[in-house]
Amino acid sequence: MLDFENILVLTQKELYDARRNRWFMLYAVAFTGLALGLAYMALSGAGNYGLAGFGRTSASLINLVLLIVPLMGLTLGALSLAGEREKGTLMYLMAQPISQAELLLGKFVGLSLALIAALGIGFGLTAFAIALNGGSAEIDTYLILMGFAVVLAVASLSLGFLISAAVQRGSTAIGLALFLWLLLVFFGDLGLMGTALVLQLDVQQLFLAALVNPLQLFKIAAISGIRSNLEVLGPAGVYAFRTYGSALLPLLLGLLLLWVIIPLLLATYLFKKRGVL
Amino acid sequence: MVKTVLGKLLLGLLLVVLVFVGFSTALAQDEGSAVTVSAENLPQAIADAKPGDAIEVTGGIFTGHLDIDKPVTLIGIDWPVIDGENNGTVVNLTAPGITMRGFIIRNSGQVLDQENSGIAIQAADITIENNRFENTLFGVYAKNGHNAVIRNNVITSKDLDLPRRGDPIRIWYSQDVLIEGNEITKGRDVVLWYSERVTVRDNEVSDGRYGLHFMYCDDATIEYNTLLDNSVGAFFMYSRRVTVQHNTIAGNRGPSGYGVGMKDMDDAIIRENIFLDNRVGVHLDTSPREVDSFGRYDGNVFAYNDIGVGMMPSVRRNEFSNNSFVDNEEQVAVGGGGQLKGNIWSVNGQGNYWSDYAGYDADDDGTGDLVYKSDRLFENLMQREPSLRLFLYSPATNAIDFSAKAFPIVRPQPKVEDEFPLMTPQIPTEAPQMPQATGETWFIFAVVFTAMALALVLLPRLTRKRYIFPQPETQA
Repeated sequence: MLDFENILVLTQKELYDARRNRWFMLYAVAFTGLALGLAYMALSGAGNYGLAGFGRTSASLINLVLLIVPLMGLTLGALSLAGEREKGTLMYLMAQPISQAELLLGKFVGLSLALIAALGIGFGLTAFAIALNGGSAEIDTYLILMGFAVVLAVASLSLGFLISAAVQRGSTAIGLALFLWLLLVFFGDLGLMGTALVLQLDVQQLFLAALVNPLQLFKIAAISGIRSNLEVLGPAGVYAFRTYGSALLPLLLGLLLLWVIIPLLLATYLFKKRGVL
Repeated sequence: MVKTVLGKLLLGLLLVVLVFVGFSTALAQDEGSAVTVSAENLPQAIADAKPGDAIEVTGGIFTGHLDIDKPVTLIGIDWPVIDGENNGTVVNLTAPGITMRGFIIRNSGQVLDQENSGIAIQAADITIENNRFENTLFGVYAKNGHNAVIRNNVITSKDLDLPRRGDPIRIWYSQDVLIEGNEITKGRDVVLWYSERVTVRDNEVSDGRYGLHFMYCDDATIEYNTLLDNSVGAFFMYSRRVTVQHNTIAGNRGPSGYGVGMKDMDDAIIRENIFLDNRVGVHLDTSPREVDSFGRYDGNVFAYNDIGVGMMPSVRRNEFSNNSFVDNEEQVAVGGGGQLKGNIWSVNGQGNYWSDYAGYDADDDGTGDLVYKSDRLFENLMQREPSLRLFLYSPATNAIDFSAKAFPIVRPQPKVEDEFPLMTPQIPTEAPQMPQATGETWFIFAVVFTAMALALVLLPRLTRKRYIFPQPETQA
């Protein structure tokens, strides 16, 4: 059985460690800086027309989240168990009276909170920039965007944990995480585009195939939250909106949550099987 | 000699008399007799009135239908109400020269094919000014209402599904109409058909289907309007010499989603408008239609639209100069692919500003030294296979564009070539400003979230002494 007090203690330790993790700090600073820069550029251009160009800001933020957030989650997750395993600290931790599932869950919750904090600082400071530029009526869409970014971060962290539980060395884990990142961000979409062009996929097939990728789930969900329809995504978007209507957003969120739960369960299974070595 | 002097004197006297008589009759007509009644007594007051009379209506509610068949001026004071009891058209104006000012017209019927309206204009020279239309299917419907003036009214339709609502304003076979300063929201279409020399100025049309819908309306002028959040901002069809200038056209994103749509439009001038956040800023289909006609687009801003200017492949003879294309997802799109060869993208050495222009201006004359070419590979792929738009915003699309830059063999033919691209955007100053939001909620959000995030990082430090695992019970 899971002891939640153990998990809480491990969560605190993980949060404390995150502050000393240079990768984490680098990602947090990079994300905040880029988000601020994008918001400033989008808004200073828009300011010339006397309007709040948040539609544009959110579009660039979607792009930024798609690039950086999976990278944060995957690499931090990949390093978590494999890194400690390589250093030998994992053995020390497991010498404590805690179960493997407790250790994994504690680490996962702790790192998730750290990621949420990083995103919170990024989105919070960007909101400052938007406020200074006269703001915009669309704060609810900004919150939706941030909410989905958090779920995406946790989902990619979960995938990172899966890698971490499966391999022995930190460098292998990082390599695999980077490859998975490339796959999700670039090759998956490129392959699907090529397939669509060659096989003349119809919009239904294309849309369903795209839903396999958690990044597409995030993107489609964020856009449908911001725009309240999917016409911007062309025929496939219109198809999705007509077919699923108001069920679309819960559906996408549910699928994204599956990307959190399933890799985590698999990681727990693998970690139990492999042990601390 | 004497005779001529006398003649001149007589002539002068005659002139004086004529002028005097003229003045006095004019005065007599102007004064008329001003009657003051309450709204309940309107029909009687109209029946008693002589042509040219003014009737002041001080408050009250008249329930029923009003037919006005003589040229009178109705002046509402303290918002008198004319209530049609949700049945038929509320007010019928059948004589030329009627003026209605300061009324609340409400509760027309809702039969679309009978065009139940707030006010139906069926004669010339009628002025509808400062009225409010509440729960009327159609607002003002002018049929053969030449020289009508529709000014400063507030018009909405009934609270129905969009296609079942009526038109806030419909102008039908009415020449020289002026529509000015009206505030129109949640109607269906503002329709102007078969009417020449219409002027539409300073109106705000929002949350409808077609903000403005013109058909067979030659020589129309549309200026200083705000067309906001409609399905289509303004659609122009089968007309000549239309001038569209100084308008702000934003957020039009319905199924068609055009800021301005042009179909079979000859000699149109589209000047210094702001097209913002529409699905398509301007959509061109067979415009211009005739061989010797043109379309001129000068000094507009196309910003943050999904597509700045969308054209059908056969469209030609349009001239674009001094426009600013700012961060549209696609600056220029061709339906079905093609090159837009027959259109001109710079006039007399004045091109357009393109926010994705990557050239430079070494001689500092404000014009880029390299030709601007719109040749993104992903846009080209989208035109071949529209469903690929699903991948918009995805980093993979940037990878595709990058590969086309790195390997020219896969670079598509440019859609647009602008030989004199401008280096800085030009902002129209006269178009209406968009409503500005305040940043307060954003500040609150920013403070709360930054604080919460920092707390998450700092909290473990403050509670660090809890960093001991509980002892297992077996040892206790």
